[in-house]
Amino acid sequence: MNGPHRELTPEAALRLTLAAEPWLSCDDCFEQIDEYVERVLADQHMGMPAMHAHLAGCGACGEEGRSLLLLVAEDEGIDPGPGLRRLAAG
Amino acid sequence: MAALDGPELADADPLRMAGLREDWVELLSSPGPGHEDALARLHALLLRAARHQVAQMLAQTPAIGEVRREELIQQAADEAVVSVLGKLSSFEGRSQFTTWAYKFGILHAAVEVRRTLWRHREVPLEFLPEPAAVGSSPEQLAEAADFSHAVGIAIDQVLTAHQRRVVLALLVDDVPIDVLADRLGTTRNALYKTLHDARGRLRAHLTSAGYLAPVNTKGVNP
Repeated sequence: MNGPHRELTPEAALRLTLAAEPWLSCDDCFEQIDEYVERVLADQHMGMPAMHAHLAGCGACGEEGRSLLLLVAEDEGIDPGPGLRRLAAG
Repeated sequence: MAALDGPELADADPLRMAGLREDWVELLSSPGPGHEDALARLHALLLRAARHQVAQMLAQTPAIGEVRREELIQQAADEAVVSVLGKLSSFEGRSQFTTWAYKFGILHAAVEVRRTLWRHREVPLEFLPEPAAVGSSPEQLAEAADFSHAVGIAIDQVLTAHQRRVVLALLVDDVPIDVLADRLGTTRNALYKTLHDARGRLRAHLTSAGYLAPVNTKGVNP
């Protein structure tokens, strides 16, 4: 590129340099998201670091994962708050 | 297709629903007693998931009228039914069937909302000024601005033209990944790979320039 660089917000700069490791594709995330959400709600999600990394690094998959967690929590009649916090914290 | 909606599903006999969970795959896989009922219940589940997803995106959807919103929900549920039936053999029981099925309804609804919202919008692939940052202390603001400036320069120096276009559209201009995939004739998967590789290049460059710690696997500490 020959043009001047863009001025970025600090938030955009952090999103651009997020270490979303280990690698996981969107397709593989979709394959596992149902199991992962149930594990997060049960606080038994350790051992799936790639899922956490992907949901943090991919806005669309992250949005859909949060939504699935809310829906399942509603079905099970449980407070989604702790699950949402675990989803964000990994 | 019959359309049982959320409240009707919620009113169903819990014991009957629990039993049905066990039999979902069998009932949906072959014609016979219970097949039509299972199909109707699957559609109801996916309508619920699609409606839930659209409600989650409500802040983004006032621009979509009520009639179009309902069409979108019905369309997403119908498409999700087709996806679920096509993938039935891949269900391995690692989650409840309902959780597994819900994800298809959520995906189809989310993608359709994003596409609808951007249908008549240009996808900005040019270089536009960013809004000014809002921040906390003067020191933090200065540090963040310095890091942001370094990231901006690194984008120009180490990324390919394609990587620049993708990361700026996705992470600076907030173009949804599905919308960008449509416009560029590619897939969500391929764009996320491009984003992942670009992040790696930026991190390596900024690490060597001293902006990031050499070993940092948990995040970014500018």
